[in-house]
Amino acid sequence: MKNTTNKKNLDAYLTLIAGIVLVLLNVVLLAGKMPAYYSGILRFVGINIILAVSLNLINGITGQFSLGHAGFMAVGAYVSALVSIHLGWPLILALFVGALAAALLGVLIGLPTLRLKGDYLAIATLGLGEIIRVVILNLDITKGARGLGSIPRTTNIYLVELVAVITILFTVNLMRSTHGRALLSIREDEIAAEAMGINTTFYKVFAFSAGAFFAGLAGGLFAHSMGYIAPSNFEFMRSIEILVMVVLGGLGSITGSVVAAFVLTILPEALRGFAQFRMVLYSALLIAIMLFRPSGLMGTRELDVRSALTIFKSGGEKDAE
Amino acid sequence: MPSNHLLDAKGLTMNFGGLTAVANLNFHLNKGDLVGLIGPNGAGKTTVFNMLTGVYTPSEGTVELESELVSNLKPYKITRKGIARTFQNIRLFNELSVLDNVRIAFHSRRNYPIVNAVFLTPSFFKAERAVKKDARELLSILRLEDKQDEKAKNLSYGQMRRLEVARALATNPKLLLLDEPAAGMNPQETEELTELIALIREKFALTILLIEHDMSLVMKICERIMVLDYGVLIANGTPQEIQENERVIEAYLGGEV
Repeated sequence: MKNTTNKKNLDAYLTLIAGIVLVLLNVVLLAGKMPAYYSGILRFVGINIILAVSLNLINGITGQFSLGHAGFMAVGAYVSALVSIHLGWPLILALFVGALAAALLGVLIGLPTLRLKGDYLAIATLGLGEIIRVVILNLDITKGARGLGSIPRTTNIYLVELVAVITILFTVNLMRSTHGRALLSIREDEIAAEAMGINTTFYKVFAFSAGAFFAGLAGGLFAHSMGYIAPSNFEFMRSIEILVMVVLGGLGSITGSVVAAFVLTILPEALRGFAQFRMVLYSALLIAIMLFRPSGLMGTRELDVRSALTIFKSGGEKDAE
Repeated sequence: MPSNHLLDAKGLTMNFGGLTAVANLNFHLNKGDLVGLIGPNGAGKTTVFNMLTGVYTPSEGTVELESELVSNLKPYKITRKGIARTFQNIRLFNELSVLDNVRIAFHSRRNYPIVNAVFLTPSFFKAERAVKKDARELLSILRLEDKQDEKAKNLSYGQMRRLEVARALATNPKLLLLDEPAAGMNPQETEELTELIALIREKFALTILLIEHDMSLVMKICERIMVLDYGVLIANGTPQEIQENERVIEAYLGGEV
């Protein structure tokens, strides 16, 4: 009994990693032979995976409702772009500096705002995301609303997928440790978590800044992929898009975030044939999924072959919960 | 003389705006004591627990654990100093497994740097194995070992109460505060709980302070009882003394004596 539990957890874990690595490897292999249009979309899939998984760390795993993810992405994008343009540093270093700046901002913002709960925190982070955007809009060095151009377009699909894998592995490994359980306990009941000896302030700020770090990385990759960024890339709707991926995939499910980021990046492109009805269909699909799977595609579970087989055998009857 | 004191509460007062929930409460607990805290609804019993565990910072007064001031600490630090509690209205981590509920409580005792977890170092696996073993041991003492993969929210009421105790024990407390552990239990379950409290007290060398409305349980296992009424300590003595105390009878029955 005890051994099977152990084994099952390990199986689920290995399947998860193997599945992700396989999918991404295929993506990378295909990308080499693909028209630029498709490999460009795949780059966005990778960037969105990083964004969704890192937001899931804050929203789904730690239960802190944040609506400011685009703000952290913007900081990473602008800082890394400026480092590339003015200092001429190599891409990896520029990305790292951008991510670090985003993480630092995450700590600074996290300390005061994480006293807030639920709706109030959501509104505060929404405001913060907008403040970041407005600051960028009004600074000279960021060239304001005209946008920042001539960023070296050094990002490639391999680097994006590599960072995506690192983000996923970081989150999965964290989740399986005492630190991941501490984050989950905050989501479940903050007062009880504190009574169990968990420094909830530390872990909330940690989740916030780690999420911001990866969002900053995604921003840097985005900037060096586009070659041109403007404040309008990082508006409130961008945060909502990422949030939709997390909720649709299932709050707390990392595989869910990956799948949702994949589907929701490709879907608007696949629906191009419907011309102006494209976004209507996109929204209708979102509503339909939320109606039939209110806890997201994956709920809080992870993709794993064994449970998929059990569901298959029992005819998928007891799928939810 | 105070060396035998595990806990000293001096002049504890809690004001909520104009309302004084607890007024100038003084008491101490000796090591190994099993003390009951009783009183009518709204007497301030849970407020006392919240002050002892740092959920509330007392408006006035201090709490000392082994002569060390703890009432200015955050709740998680007080837990690490050795005061653990259960909750009157059950606060389990509902969506997590029974095993995880207990493993979370081992957090401060079996910790390792975040880097070890991210890079899957051998010390991470070693610590995780140890946590799992310890957690299962606790679950088997609390007779929950066959429920370890169940979500906490799917447990029966009595099982939830036992899981709360298991979780509190996992923090390695010196002092255990039980907030109405028998609430909602039938006489059979209460009987089992009584035995369980005696068992863990022995096994973990605990000092226990418990709030309870079930007088059969309180009178049976507590060596000393404190009675709160409107935030004031009106009696403090053996069960025998409490049963004969006129002020206590008045507080409970509301009659003139």
